[in-house]
Amino acid sequence: MAPWILVGLFVIGPWREIVMFRGRARCVRAAGAAMAGTLLLAAAADAQVPLQRPGQQRPWADRNPDIGTGQATSLAHAQPAPAAFAEITDETGRHVRIPQPVRRIVSLAPSLTETLYALGAQDRLVGDTDYCDYPPEAQKKPKVGGAINPNLEQIAALRPDLVLMTKSLNRYETVRALDDLHIPSYATDPHTVDDIISSTARLAEVLGIGEAGQALAQELRQRLTEIEGRVGELPRRRVLFVVWSDPLISVGRNTFIADALRRARAISVIDTAQDWPQVSLEEVVHLQPEALIFAATHPQAEARDFAALAQRPGWRDLEAVRKSRFVVITDAVNRPAPRLISAIEELARQLHPEAFSERPRTSPAAPPGLESRTADRDSRASWGACACSR
Amino acid sequence: MQPLTLGRLFARCAVLGVVLLLVTLVALKLGAVPVSLYGLGRDLIRVAMGKSSELASEYRLIVFDIRLPRILLGIFVGASLSVAGASFQALLRNPLADPYVLGVSSGAALGAIFALIAAPHLGVAPAVAALFTPLGAFLGAATTIAAVYFLGRRQGAIDSGTLLLAGIISASFLSALIMLLMTTLPSSNVRGMAFWLMGDLSTPPPRSLQWFLGVVFFVAAGAIYTTAADLNLLLAGEQEAIHLGVDLGRVRLVVYIAASVLTGLAVSVSGAIGYVGLLVPHAIRLLFGGDYRVLLPTTALGGAIAVVIADTLARTVVAPTELSVGAVTAMAGAPFFIYLLRRRLT
Repeated sequence: MAPWILVGLFVIGPWREIVMFRGRARCVRAAGAAMAGTLLLAAAADAQVPLQRPGQQRPWADRNPDIGTGQATSLAHAQPAPAAFAEITDETGRHVRIPQPVRRIVSLAPSLTETLYALGAQDRLVGDTDYCDYPPEAQKKPKVGGAINPNLEQIAALRPDLVLMTKSLNRYETVRALDDLHIPSYATDPHTVDDIISSTARLAEVLGIGEAGQALAQELRQRLTEIEGRVGELPRRRVLFVVWSDPLISVGRNTFIADALRRARAISVIDTAQDWPQVSLEEVVHLQPEALIFAATHPQAEARDFAALAQRPGWRDLEAVRKSRFVVITDAVNRPAPRLISAIEELARQLHPEAFSERPRTSPAAPPGLESRTADRDSRASWGACACSR
Repeated sequence: MQPLTLGRLFARCAVLGVVLLLVTLVALKLGAVPVSLYGLGRDLIRVAMGKSSELASEYRLIVFDIRLPRILLGIFVGASLSVAGASFQALLRNPLADPYVLGVSSGAALGAIFALIAAPHLGVAPAVAALFTPLGAFLGAATTIAAVYFLGRRQGAIDSGTLLLAGIISASFLSALIMLLMTTLPSSNVRGMAFWLMGDLSTPPPRSLQWFLGVVFFVAAGAIYTTAADLNLLLAGEQEAIHLGVDLGRVRLVVYIAASVLTGLAVSVSGAIGYVGLLVPHAIRLLFGGDYRVLLPTTALGGAIAVVIADTLARTVVAPTELSVGAVTAMAGAPFFIYLLRRRLT
């Protein structure tokens, strides 16, 4: 019915035209009709699509449009309909209905892909993003595009039972688009190291592998306690965490990275409410951090960059640069996933070598090769002369 | 000028209508997930015969729930932007006018961002809050075009060079304001917005908004169409138009408001997709001449065709990753702008 109202509007619209050009009234009306007709077709086709799928009506969803659903989607033909649903609230406060058991998962964030692997749920992961590169096997999973602009039809084609997202990386528009397609989604929102661990355990619960989640959480907490035991009493190192060097971007106090620094008995000299502040170099020169922390996938390549960085004006005025106090850790520190704990261990070991010196301790989770680094050796050698901690 | 007859107008719209239909079919076929032509044809026939329950399930979700709404959104955005562009070109008597070049799109984007920031603090129902973004975009667009118009006047008449400069200055000033707002916003919003600003059709607006957009488009486009004959006269010059009996104040008001509404709506759902409002009306003029009574409906169809093609390219060239559709239109539109500029100077 509504399309005809539109036609009416459009015919009434040009009435003045019709009066003014009486002789040409017909052609003007025809132009209007043609213009209306085309877009009308479009509108009508749009209106028909939802009507033609009576099996997908969700009476309860009309009351709350935010509810995601896994109810009898059109994919039901392709696989047996799930026997049950779990009604849960995700970490962003959305109520979601998730089919049980969850067999097919699409992850829209590298951290969530890592978490799935850590939980041993990698076999259920049927798709991830272009940026999911850890563990290396994750790169072989079917790709659905980027985290911010995932390809919806690629996601739909993978027929997921559940799409995983994280609030800090993915967009709300993606959540809404998936809701419109009746594809259930679950979003995490961790802000601290503790959040990351509990969020992992919760996710495991949602996936029906709560025991694996509890075990992983316990292991991670234990490792944190051990770090705490070793470095907990030491003076905090004042550091600059370099997210990006040109322009210089560091971390704000509310990020999980700032929390990870605190766990490694370090404190960021930058203290902003903004999460990823662009910092002026002169502010850094004024604050004189004891060490610069970089996250890198290839530490050797990174070491060459430091040499170049140390030549640049501003940077060369930094005490930490002159004394080569660069700390390079795995880029796991950039991802709110279980591997962050390994990054904290590594960071603690590099910032407080004395606390780890009694025995050559190797963490089971630390990837091989991290121990022997030029930058690492340099920084360790120069810590002895450091008297600038306050 | 050949007299306008019913048959001629019909024929022109029909040609473009058929092209739009073909482009839509091709756009339905192409995408990250391969869909066979046979499967698509079979499904379309089933839909046409009202037997949609027999649709192949693997295509239904992708073709009819993801691609089709996106194509329809592209049709709406393309038609809005090109009708707005054609109207601005007549009103400002400047062939280089376009919502994007004049800074109107940036103004609309700024208005939309303000609305996004304000909406959660006003405590209104989500359905009402969804209307805030298009409303803010409209206000931003209307304010910008008014400012550009007054800045572009010299000794009481519009100077086309000054006008373009005013548009460019406004666009860069507004972009700076947008950057300022985005750096102060919580970071999770910023990434999404940066993507939206470049022009993005990947996430259709909520269903509740779709009907609203359709209705407002027809009202605004219809309002502009009532002034089509006046716009023809206006192209001869403002004084000349007044002497020929054009109620300049009324025409200006109607076209300003309606074109700002069209730009605001398009920007609020798709971000700033540039150059469509410039490229399409000129291409249509080359094809069918400059009579606004023909130009307005045909340019709407042409804009729809252009944006659907651009978005199909954006979806497919680096699939499954997507380009922003604004990048595709700018790549085609910016050289065309230079061409128009050069041709006018020589």
